[in-house]
Amino acid sequence: MTVAGYHIRLQRRTNLPGWKAALFSILAILFGLFLFSLIFWQAGQSPREIYKQIFGYAFFNSYGLRLTINRFIFLAFASYAFIIPYRAGLWNIGMPGQLYLGALAAFGVVYLLGGKTGEMTASQPVVITLMVLAALLAGALIGGIAGFLKGKWNVNEIVVTMMLNFIAFNLVAFMIKDGGPFMNLGGRGESFELPEAARAPLIAGFPYTLILVILLMIAIYLLFARMSLGYQIRAFGKNPPAARYAGVNPFWISVLVFLLGGALAGLAGYHYFAAVPGVYKIARTYGYFGDLSFYGMICGLISLGNPIATLFVALLFGGLSIGGRSAQGKLHLGFGVDYALMGMLMISLVAFQFFYHYQILITKQATPATARQYE
Amino acid sequence: MPRTRDAEPIELHGDIWKHIQPGEVILDARGITKRYPGGVLANDHIDFKIRAGEIHAILGENGAGKTTLMSILFGLLQPDEGEIYVRGLKVNFRSPEDAIKMGIGMVHQHRKLVPAHTVLENILLGHPKSRGVINVKEAEEEIEAIAQRYGFRVDPRARVWQLTEGEKQVVEIVKALYRGAKILILDEPTSALTPVETERLLESIETMTQEALGVVPFITHKLPMVLAISDQVTILRRGRVVDRLETAKATEQILAQKMVGRPVIFDLQKPDVTPGKPVIQVENLSARNNKGVIALKNASFTVREGEILGVAGVAGNGQHELAETLMGLRPAEGGRILFEGQDITHRSILDRWKLGLGYTPAERTEVGSIGDFTLVENVAMNYYFDKRYNHAGFLDYGGLRQLTEQIIEDFDVATPGPDVKIQTLSGGNLQKIILGRVLSRQPKLVIANLPAQGLDVGATEFVQRKLLEARSNQAAVILISEDLDEILSLSDWIAPMYEGEIVDIIPAAEARKDLIGAMIAGLHREN
Repeated sequence: MTVAGYHIRLQRRTNLPGWKAALFSILAILFGLFLFSLIFWQAGQSPREIYKQIFGYAFFNSYGLRLTINRFIFLAFASYAFIIPYRAGLWNIGMPGQLYLGALAAFGVVYLLGGKTGEMTASQPVVITLMVLAALLAGALIGGIAGFLKGKWNVNEIVVTMMLNFIAFNLVAFMIKDGGPFMNLGGRGESFELPEAARAPLIAGFPYTLILVILLMIAIYLLFARMSLGYQIRAFGKNPPAARYAGVNPFWISVLVFLLGGALAGLAGYHYFAAVPGVYKIARTYGYFGDLSFYGMICGLISLGNPIATLFVALLFGGLSIGGRSAQGKLHLGFGVDYALMGMLMISLVAFQFFYHYQILITKQATPATARQYE
Repeated sequence: MPRTRDAEPIELHGDIWKHIQPGEVILDARGITKRYPGGVLANDHIDFKIRAGEIHAILGENGAGKTTLMSILFGLLQPDEGEIYVRGLKVNFRSPEDAIKMGIGMVHQHRKLVPAHTVLENILLGHPKSRGVINVKEAEEEIEAIAQRYGFRVDPRARVWQLTEGEKQVVEIVKALYRGAKILILDEPTSALTPVETERLLESIETMTQEALGVVPFITHKLPMVLAISDQVTILRRGRVVDRLETAKATEQILAQKMVGRPVIFDLQKPDVTPGKPVIQVENLSARNNKGVIALKNASFTVREGEILGVAGVAGNGQHELAETLMGLRPAEGGRILFEGQDITHRSILDRWKLGLGYTPAERTEVGSIGDFTLVENVAMNYYFDKRYNHAGFLDYGGLRQLTEQIIEDFDVATPGPDVKIQTLSGGNLQKIILGRVLSRQPKLVIANLPAQGLDVGATEFVQRKLLEARSNQAAVILISEDLDEILSLSDWIAPMYEGEIVDIIPAAEARKDLIGAMIAGLHREN
């Protein structure tokens, strides 16, 4: 394309340094916020006031920040659960089901130890360790079903994980609602409340699961950047026939990534229902958290499967979902504004990924004389 | 639906091809220049003329700019600079459709046909006449008339998947001619044909030129073919025309030297190697192809240390299934494979790598490499399990990087460095990395599936030398090739394959090219 003697064209990038990718993401966020401010402005609201309310509450208000961090931890686990299969070219859409089962298993441990009836005698470290292990295991098992079917008979993993979500959703309903073994004695459609010894300890006001998030980020980073297993997963994700040629076992990779992904989603369930202060039960609204876990998929996709970048995206969306809801109430904004804003940012982030692959070159139009100088 | 965008110039010059005189310039490309991202000059002010009734070969290595030039002539790419004139009329092709309407036809190296459809349907597909009701009878007659005129044998009602590569090529040519092509661009026209088919094709091309058509074959490495058919040769190197000459004045040596830029040794020195003990013994091995049909039937042979077994055959005669079954990529349906006396018929692919088998697949981009990975990561494909580079599950990327640099040096790979994505490499360099990676493991058995296919003269020579080197180092080599000259010059034993069977195993000293040519064409079975 030529404009006023300048030649504008697109060129495919051959590589992209990490800092540039980060810069484009920040620009994308600013651009998305700018676009959305037009909507606020159109509605007669001051964008500045609204953003101040959203970000101020989400990140600079001590109460809001705690809510944000709790969401963030949840989203981070859900993102990891998506990323690991994603790097193998497989789509885990089963985070809701996996986290429901993770939560059920954690509560199951307490139930078996007599925690529902207040007869639990086991010490806090033992109970919590068992709860975490149970959540990991249960998530891994339900996730592993999809991996097994994929590896053995090439059954579409998206369909399997989605269908398992419905089964898990109804299993939770069976367990916690009227007459279910985990039913709250008050019968409010919730599970029993965890006894003191089964509640996750807080560190500086935040659940200890925050540390797990950081440790897992390092572990996943090392897995893909340094380890043979991560290499095999990546090779399989980029080119399955080539990976097979190189001796990678497609069956085991499929099973393994779904075991790992499911286990991490199980942790998300454990975190929200057993570690967030003030919850400590499988809430009546557990379906909402199932839906929220799909944001893990979005975080994973926006960050292109990079576990470090994912955390920033998860923090942003965790904050926006908290801050947006608060601003909506405080400033009497329309219903769903928080989700609309998150949607706008997602679109903007995805659109800006264009610049990961292309750069725009503007040169003065080449004449035959100048062109020859290139040589 | 009418397409107003390009309807105008085409309608206007519909009669451009009337009254052609032999020898008249029918296509004139001037100063064609194309620059790719990263500043690579693929075509640098290329001037190129073709006259009516002329076969004008364009010769050049991979990456010399041939593909770019032909894509420009066929409207797939637009040049940054330069002009193209067809019969003196300046043209500006925005798409192949424009080029086709101006009488330019192209036959791709990788045939672009719909396998499930008939020949007739493929020829009509996308043809302007096929919009609306098709007069099948009339079309069939027209196609048969074209085929007869140029001596092609084609059954319009046959299904494409049943055809051989040579027959598919004929379909592509007839398709182009049916659309009124006056200038026919052929990309590597004989690369997949048997000697018999090649001869037949060349005869038809001769006939075409008598009707004042221009034919432009693009060729990377079959120099004897250039000499046999063309009138003129234009040689490209690094995007520039290095020479234009009449074929009558050229020899293979001259062409090769100009193309590569240095003298090329044609007679590979095959050192004397004393064969050692058997490395691989194959007994009655059978396997199915992807359609589930038995495509490898009771193959039996032995290859010893320091020997090359050349498996000759036209594509689709079971060689591919043989290679994949040996490497474990395809299950054996019957028979067994002994590797150093050990039965490996049911061992995993990884086990075979670890035992000392090495395989370079024919599908270099689909199977042999991972385009989105760097060179280092691609080299890791054969080393991620190796104790030298895998310490307790962690890969030694530093060591792998050194290894990659070593391979780049030893195999003379042209690349900016070991950290670029492998998809940026040209075909020849990609093959060098794959071969280098496999040979660096010093495998006891090398299975090389079409190792030099599509490579230019220089890279072909290099790859062949490396295979001979492996042989000198006491490796057993199974070389699968469709190029009989290659088979004859490298092998110690030759196994021609036809329809899944090894017809015979002949010591190289007693092999005759015509006899092997007949065997792989199925003409020699009863004897």
